[in-house]
Amino acid sequence: MTLRASPTNRPQGIDLEALADGCCDRLAASYASRGMIASPTPVPLIEVQHEAGGVVTLWVQVPPEMVSDYNPGQYFMCWNPYDATGGMSRPNYHSEKPYSVGDVKIDRTGVDEGIAADTGGEGRALLGFTVKDLGRQSGELTRMKAGDWLAIRGPFGTSFPRMSSGDRLLLVSGGIGSTPMHMAARDGRRKLGDNLKIDAIMGFRNEAECHFISRMEALCDSLTITTDDGSSGTPGFPTGPLPNLLSGVGEGDREEGGSGRTVLLTCGPEPMMKAVLQMAVDAGVECYAAMERYLPCSVAMCGLCMVGDKLTCVDGPVMEGGWLLQQDDFGLSH
Amino acid sequence: MADLGVDIPGLSMSNPLMLASGIQGGSAAALHRVSASGAGGLVSKSIGPIPREMYPGPVCVEAMDSVILNAMGLPNPGADKFAEVVKGEEFAKPMLVSIFGGDAEGYVEVAEKMANAGASCLELNLSCPHAKPGSRALIIGQQPELIREVVAAVKGAVDIPVYAKLSPNTTNIVVEAEAALSAGADGLALINTVSAIEVDPFAGRPVIGNLLCGMSGPAIRPIAQRKVAEISLAMRRGEIPEVPILGIGGITTGLDVARFIMLGASAVQIGSALVWGDVDVFAQIESELAEFMAQNGYPDLESMRGIALDSLEGLS
Repeated sequence: MTLRASPTNRPQGIDLEALADGCCDRLAASYASRGMIASPTPVPLIEVQHEAGGVVTLWVQVPPEMVSDYNPGQYFMCWNPYDATGGMSRPNYHSEKPYSVGDVKIDRTGVDEGIAADTGGEGRALLGFTVKDLGRQSGELTRMKAGDWLAIRGPFGTSFPRMSSGDRLLLVSGGIGSTPMHMAARDGRRKLGDNLKIDAIMGFRNEAECHFISRMEALCDSLTITTDDGSSGTPGFPTGPLPNLLSGVGEGDREEGGSGRTVLLTCGPEPMMKAVLQMAVDAGVECYAAMERYLPCSVAMCGLCMVGDKLTCVDGPVMEGGWLLQQDDFGLSH
Repeated sequence: MADLGVDIPGLSMSNPLMLASGIQGGSAAALHRVSASGAGGLVSKSIGPIPREMYPGPVCVEAMDSVILNAMGLPNPGADKFAEVVKGEEFAKPMLVSIFGGDAEGYVEVAEKMANAGASCLELNLSCPHAKPGSRALIIGQQPELIREVVAAVKGAVDIPVYAKLSPNTTNIVVEAEAALSAGADGLALINTVSAIEVDPFAGRPVIGNLLCGMSGPAIRPIAQRKVAEISLAMRRGEIPEVPILGIGGITTGLDVARFIMLGASAVQIGSALVWGDVDVFAQIESELAEFMAQNGYPDLESMRGIALDSLEGLS
């Protein structure tokens, strides 16, 4: 990775690696005092990983504790302060939007050996924001290159419930809703090893948009892929194969020493999540959705992310399924 | 148990803690959410003649401890849509409806729609640019003749109490207060945000999407208190009519509320504190205020109101 000196008016001949380390130190000090980054702070973009058509993971360097402390479900506000040329000629072009973390990597010498064990000794702690090109802002992010700078603040919001040994996790995603589901699987496997059963269904529009498949296969006891057009896996929506997972609940899942709790997590388009949560509730399964809404401020100020009488930014994004199903404004397309 | 009740034009409240304008209160759902908290009163987002979208982000950041910066861009559903909220919803707490317009006609249009929908009182957000050519560099609240024009026009159009919300970004805030009061304002609300800018040195550009922003949070509280004190003193001296003052700026504790009341405020508005505690801050601040008053022998807010001004009387 070669860091670029953007903005374009920065003097030549500076030590950009030192600049990146300086940014990281500054971030660490700020994070240590508050447990979060309160103001947008630039972090170096180390690597851009192509995932699928229009989907990339932006790997940014952060202090190791920000990776080991991250709770799946939480989100960061991400902003590219530069325009496409690395300059600032269109200062209002980019807005700031919420993204959840799709993957993490950390150094072996970092603070969390559990994570380090399966990352092959990367030299840095990295947060991976998995972004799909869905509009002007996310489109600009997918076109960023290693060496660019991304401004982040966070983490914000609620996270998925903590699982225990002997529990079972059911994960149902649609499209880019794959990101928090992958993190939930990764976190559960890291903390509980084989003592957590993980079954997942991932829905996509078509084969070209499928991503995270091999990583999820490695983490889950079972993985079912669905595509709307049938170009890969089971044709149709993720709700198709879901009864197979739900029918097994309560029958033989309970293992000695565990709570035997089964929890369903879902993330994707709201109409899909509504159908999934309804099926889970009907089957008597505890369930949660990771919500995505227009979320401008992230700090309970603007009030534009209401679901029922709650704010997605601080009462969410992870919200309880039974409660969500009672809200008139849940389950519509946005 | 101290009596925290407040009774001022258009606002009969169980405690002096109101939501500040611009925070959450732009929809029925959001206002019900705040209404269910410990707040004594509500203030809506500023409602304009037509719907407005949010500025590009970042729109609101915590720039450093005690400092919130924002430039939302007066996003609101527009007067027609919000009139339905005013008319159709029963809120558990009284609501001050904040309004703005590009000129006096714009303010009057929104004021009439809100009054016709049943609003009990209005707050005029004067911190927006005037549509008149040549006036764009300054906000209405920095031009006393425009304050007079807007307040007089609204007072002439509606019968409900009108509070003028003043900007701190002026030379002598008593001049702007006098302009509002001479035009018939029933009360004053102060302060609005302090004009600010923050630069990200690594990005080499301002942090906020709109570039320019307003500052709030605990760091501006002493500034707000000074402005309230200056206006209260002018009232004591008889230089301007005595009307209720709604104190606003960086309040996060019950002691902060007592400070504003002791400088002459009748009630307060709370906004930035919600960044750190959401709507739960109202109940917490209320219990802190009640405890302080009980411990210090203040039976009600009136017994405490303005007492810190006594030591300032000699100042000219």
